[in-house]
Amino acid sequence: MSVTAHAPIPTERDERWHYAPLDEINARMERSVAPCGDVPTSVTPMLIDAMVGATGARLVFVNGMHTAELSDCHQLPAGVRCDVSNTSGGGGPPVATVTVDEGVRFEEPLRVVHVAVPDADAVKSLLSRARTIIELGTDAHAVVVETFGGLDGSRASTMTESSTTIRLGDRAELAYYRIQIEALDATHVGHTLIDQGADSSVGMTSVTLGGDIARNAIHVHLDGPGARADLAGIAVTGGHQRHDTVVTIDHAASRCTSNQRFNGVVDDHGRGAFSGEIVVQPGTTGTDAHQSSRNLVLDPNAEADARPWLRILADDVRCTHGATVGRLDDDALHYLRSRGIPLVAARAMLIDAFLRNVTDSIAHEAVRAHVAALVTSAASEASEASTRATRPAWPVEHP
Amino acid sequence: MLHIANLYASVAGRTILNGLDLDVPTGEVHAIMGPNGSGKTTLSNVLSGRDGYDVSGTVTFDGVDLVPLAPEARAAAGVFVAFQHPVEIPGVGNMYFLRTAVNSIRSHRGLPELAAVEFLGLAKEHMARLAMDPAFLSRSVNAGFSGGEKKRNEILQMSMLEPRLAILDETDSGLDIDALRIVAQGIERLRSPHRSMLIITHHTPLLDDVQPDRVHVLHGGRIVRSGGPELAHELEADGYGTLPIGVSG
Ligand SMILES: Nc1ncnc2c1ncn2[C@@H]1O[C@H](COP(=O)(O)OP(=O)(O)OP(=O)(O)O)[C@@H](O)[C@H]1O
Ligand SMILES: [Mg+2]
Repeated sequence: MSVTAHAPIPTERDERWHYAPLDEINARMERSVAPCGDVPTSVTPMLIDAMVGATGARLVFVNGMHTAELSDCHQLPAGVRCDVSNTSGGGGPPVATVTVDEGVRFEEPLRVVHVAVPDADAVKSLLSRARTIIELGTDAHAVVVETFGGLDGSRASTMTESSTTIRLGDRAELAYYRIQIEALDATHVGHTLIDQGADSSVGMTSVTLGGDIARNAIHVHLDGPGARADLAGIAVTGGHQRHDTVVTIDHAASRCTSNQRFNGVVDDHGRGAFSGEIVVQPGTTGTDAHQSSRNLVLDPNAEADARPWLRILADDVRCTHGATVGRLDDDALHYLRSRGIPLVAARAMLIDAFLRNVTDSIAHEAVRAHVAALVTSAASEASEASTRATRPAWPVEHP
Repeated sequence: MLHIANLYASVAGRTILNGLDLDVPTGEVHAIMGPNGSGKTTLSNVLSGRDGYDVSGTVTFDGVDLVPLAPEARAAAGVFVAFQHPVEIPGVGNMYFLRTAVNSIRSHRGLPELAAVEFLGLAKEHMARLAMDPAFLSRSVNAGFSGGEKKRNEILQMSMLEPRLAILDETDSGLDIDALRIVAQGIERLRSPHRSMLIITHHTPLLDDVQPDRVHVLHGGRIVRSGGPELAHELEADGYGTLPIGVSG
């Protein structure tokens, strides 16, 4: 089995990298070194529990290396496997493989966790290559949570280059969560490729919170007739973070449906971008493709960009797209504060409300609670940083 | 308790409050009446700490200068404004909102926070008194509430937050006869020697139920007349036509 999702970082201008600071990414890539040696002792089972908000079946990789002591794949039923395989050519990174056989339905989340840990002594950042393959047989059902976590470094940071390939057999159904919560000084370049068989269905939720520069590319190939892809995303971008989400949905077969709902919250000096491409191939019929990008700009220094990109080469297509960029509702903010809710908490409540259309649609309850908590704390952290300079909220003394 | 002297407020280059003086002693209920556009809502906004106004003059609450305080600090000090047009906040659950508000204020008063179950019990008790269906707790704040339901939700918040100064901006407008009585009872229940109220209204029925100690007329951004409860009926009979014309900005 070979990894096909690995799209290299381009060295020259590429439209799909329009919003990403490509030169900076390449420079960081060059400056970083491959990890060697053992798993840092700072990575404990408890840390992984906290990162993923759960125990249960998981494959854990630290700096791209599989870590058996932290992984747990023993209790899986027949037809469900989490393994590690090596790339065919050898020399490449190990690959996490999650396989659900034909006709098998498994509703418990299967987790793949990649932890990027900086080298405590070195000044160079460590480069991890994360590789995952998720394969569902015909009529198979599964829930997979892939988490990209990381630790802060005192001197050096981390760089993660990830590639996840998902293949769905006919009528297979996958709920896939991609959660990027790396350290705030990390660099993350991720690529997800989803290849769908006839009448298969994927519901993907992508959560981008970490990283200093983070790019999240998702490519869905609707290859079999009647395939459905429902993609939702949240990015919370504060400090001096740059988050770039790039989605391509390729309607290569008839009667396929795709829906994209991406929400961005930018605060402080953050820059968030969303590009969503819809391609409808010639000769297809009955295509239904929708895209919406909603953005909340919380600070005059923050920036949000949204760009739809349509290449429709067939006639029988229903396609809608829309992008909004707005601010917090001042009246709502005042109302909450006038009831005694402090500014930062009031803002967090309104940000949560804004993200509800994505968080509420997470079907798995534990995952929903985990994502909601992550998003809330990221939003209030970003908010705190940008409101710190405003007028004091409290009197010095009060009877 | 509330002392306002020579209060000016302007917005978008327009002076709306024009040297307003008003004192509401502790334990008293005062009513403010006045024609449309005279500055009543502006006064309640300014008292709640709404930004966007250029404010000068004195506003003290128990001797503390309110002017520099953020809205949440005023609420923590005990000021509550029931808004004329409560804003709809889709996506923020009414229960979560109320509990956060109650606990924010409790923690400011040095009281322990209420756990979810305790809070729910308390909220249901208050809602029952206001004849509100507990289902309102699971909806978003004011979202899709009818006009009267929004007003009742304001009274619910007021009852639960137990402010020391309550400013009610036309809370009686848009209420049916039964709702008016329920809201009036809600206000009466909160009346206490330790609490003051400022009731902004266009109508006398609420003032018949909740007898104010004083009635003031706001016109052209200042108080132009003050009197006892009988002034409300006098105004209802004669209108504002005979009032001295206020200075307009
Ligand atoms: N942001 C604003 N910009 C311009 N004018 C404003 C603004 N806010 C209020 N005003 C004006 O100030 C005046 C007073 O408004 P306010 O809402 O305080 O009146 P009110 O006494 O509450 O009236 P009503 O009885 O109709 O509720 C009005 O003429 C209004 O149009
Ligand atoms: Mg008004």
